[in-house]
Amino acid sequence: MKNSNIITAFLCLVLLLGCGRSYDVRPSGDGTDHRTALFPDYRDVTIPCNIAPLNFYYTAAEGSGFVTAFSCGKLSRTIRGREVVWKEKTWKKWLQSAKGTNIQVVSSYKTPSGPVSFTWTIHVSEDPIDGYLTYRLIEPGFEVWDDLEILERNLESFDVRAISDYRNTQNKCMNCHIHSQGRGDLSMFYLRGKGGGAILNRDGTLRKLTLKNAGMISPTVYGEIHPGGRWGVFSTNIIIPAMHSLDNRRMEVYDTASDLCVADFDGGHMLTSPAYAREDVFETFPVFSADGASVYYCAAPAGKLPAQLEQMRYSLVRIPFDSENGTLGSPADTLWSGPAHQASACHPKASPDGRWLLFTVADYGTFPINHRECDLALMDLQSGNLLPMEAVNADRSDTYHSWSSNSKWFVFASKRGDGMFGKPWFSHVSPDGMVSKAFLLPQKDPHFYDHMLRSFNVPDLGNAPVPFDAREIGRIWQEVEAEPFD
Amino acid sequence: MIARKVIWITAVAVALAAGASQFLYLTKYTYFRKYASINGLSLVEAQRAWGRPDKNSEWVMGLATEAFLENWDKVSALAAEDHHNLLGTYYYNLSNAKRGQLPDKLLDYYQPFERGLFLPVNDKASAFQIGCAGDVWWALGYMPLAERDAMLGLTFSPAHNGSRFLRRLAEANLVKGDHEAASKYLRILLNSPADRAWAKRRLPGQWSPQYQLAIEEKRALLPRMDYVHGMDQVQIILRVMLNSNPSNRMALDYLLCYDLLTKDLDAFVADFAPSLTASRLYEEAMLIFLASKGGMDMDNFRHYNISENTLERFNRFVTIYKRDNGAMANLTQDFGKTYWYYFYFAQRNEKQ
Repeated sequence: MKNSNIITAFLCLVLLLGCGRSYDVRPSGDGTDHRTALFPDYRDVTIPCNIAPLNFYYTAAEGSGFVTAFSCGKLSRTIRGREVVWKEKTWKKWLQSAKGTNIQVVSSYKTPSGPVSFTWTIHVSEDPIDGYLTYRLIEPGFEVWDDLEILERNLESFDVRAISDYRNTQNKCMNCHIHSQGRGDLSMFYLRGKGGGAILNRDGTLRKLTLKNAGMISPTVYGEIHPGGRWGVFSTNIIIPAMHSLDNRRMEVYDTASDLCVADFDGGHMLTSPAYAREDVFETFPVFSADGASVYYCAAPAGKLPAQLEQMRYSLVRIPFDSENGTLGSPADTLWSGPAHQASACHPKASPDGRWLLFTVADYGTFPINHRECDLALMDLQSGNLLPMEAVNADRSDTYHSWSSNSKWFVFASKRGDGMFGKPWFSHVSPDGMVSKAFLLPQKDPHFYDHMLRSFNVPDLGNAPVPFDAREIGRIWQEVEAEPFD
Repeated sequence: MIARKVIWITAVAVALAAGASQFLYLTKYTYFRKYASINGLSLVEAQRAWGRPDKNSEWVMGLATEAFLENWDKVSALAAEDHHNLLGTYYYNLSNAKRGQLPDKLLDYYQPFERGLFLPVNDKASAFQIGCAGDVWWALGYMPLAERDAMLGLTFSPAHNGSRFLRRLAEANLVKGDHEAASKYLRILLNSPADRAWAKRRLPGQWSPQYQLAIEEKRALLPRMDYVHGMDQVQIILRVMLNSNPSNRMALDYLLCYDLLTKDLDAFVADFAPSLTASRLYEEAMLIFLASKGGMDMDNFRHYNISENTLERFNRFVTIYKRDNGAMANLTQDFGKTYWYYFYFAQRNEKQ
């Protein structure tokens, strides 16, 4: 009797501990957003030879006896259990051996309706990917923030560090961090609000800049740093948030005016031109070509908004850029016409080798993040042709992409699955423009994404860690005056 | 040695007593405890986030908790006492609207203009207020804002988690038919003992006929046309809803009460559908409009269902108002809860 009381008390204690308020998501395939047998679905993907272990779990809720057998040449390894988790050292050894070949995988388990078995491969590319990924973590969709942070993930391991965060900036708003052509020593992001400014990282020297002069319609918004480091090209936008009443498109954001400008980081000037500040044309999302001799951007005739929102179709345009004096030239060359395709281009990004231009295509507008139909498009800049992207795109928004500095890989944010939370996906581009099936950023805990309630916003690849951290940014925010630009 | 032991024992005893007293204090506030739980917080975390509970916080947390549990009788009972509090008014109005009594009881209570109908969601609003703002949109059947406010509630909640917001996010997406988005939240809730049964009943493909019916009822309220609107364009949103579903009586009453509390009589007359809703409040408002536009005739009284009694009281109000040169003193007793009194004397507090 006494023993049974002790056992009961012990069981109660275990139950109490087990019934804590924590949300431990494992294991479960319940719901309809994980339609594949494993999550993340790493079947038949191509991965870089320096990526962290591809940990995953089987989603069959009533499955049991999971066995996963990996083999590659002389190597073989069997992992039992629903969760398939690698030791980093072992995984690295496998990647080195499998470089340029396939890892063969046999998955088998039991279900109430009978045994299940299937084979698949992981192709290990010889092309490495840039080792660092920066992104902003934010609750999705509604342009508000609390406890924001910009993180830098080491893609070769699971190490993550904050490069700017709410703790060091009194919960300030911060926009996403972008590298110039994947360079860790040339990058920028914005800290908004009081004490804020554009934080420019050039060769490890940090500056805080006020990128606005009296003639501009707003501070700078979207843009990129010139490969030479002296210039930045930006759009200035009057941005209006709105909502759809139907169709789960949630938030819509549109511009009622937008222009282009150039920042001279050496001279402290903003260079504007009437040709790119026209009231009858909206210009946005400017970026430099790989050689810095051109600027790509998106442009549409001005419309009455929001009434004409669905008629706002932006074209992809290229203009010359004079890197001696920082001027945007002419003529404008339309690479892809929005009206002709009855669609709208956003976020062009040129590959650092100058071969490819990646951009997103939505039905209309400039805010495709909630547009389910929004897909990535890849243009061969040698031929001007668009290449097939079925292996990459999904039935939810695919956007906010960036290139690895070797131009062999790109990362993008996709809302595939739950449709709400953006996650970083990667794809390989072969020399002839074949793209591989996209794979999700691996995490140490295969259930990581199940309990993640924030979006990975604007994932951006870097070939080296940025030479600052959140504490340094906090010091700059507090102690350094923003440099005025005229 | 003994002295050391005594000091230690005393210190431990004091710490234990302080802890026990703190625990008892916190558990005394039932709604504080429940509200902490649905926000995914322990009592200590909740106290750190929201401060020590008191009678007032216990009351508003009670309103929010019972609204979350859809115990509208309890919401009504808690809101019965008028604390001249924005959240109290918001839940008072919502519980009345659930019974089809929004206009009838509107002016029996403190009304800080339209803010007591739709809680402002802006940089001046508290996190608590933002967390409550979606309840009215959920009740009205407007899922875009029910979802937005749940996401904002989650964003500004101390743990960035909690079943209060996850349940709403899941259900708003189920109503919209986005089962993939709902599954994300339901799977998290399935792993919480307090929410498991609730989530299981809502998993796509596992609905009972009753739940299917409840979802269908909500879906019937969804707008059937797409309209891009600003975040705070309440009148436009309600008109879009009514355009698709003219029989959504709750949306109609909310729109008309919004028009009246903002003293927008032209909008009220344009939005009013006498065949779909009726209330003494609407009769009173219509009389001000008719009197100002020279429309005081029997045809209009019949068309707008204006009773003889209301007309007689209006004439008395006007007589006293004119006699006293617009002073309110002699009107408060008999007319303090009429729309005429509100229209002429209520003043917006710009600080709020």
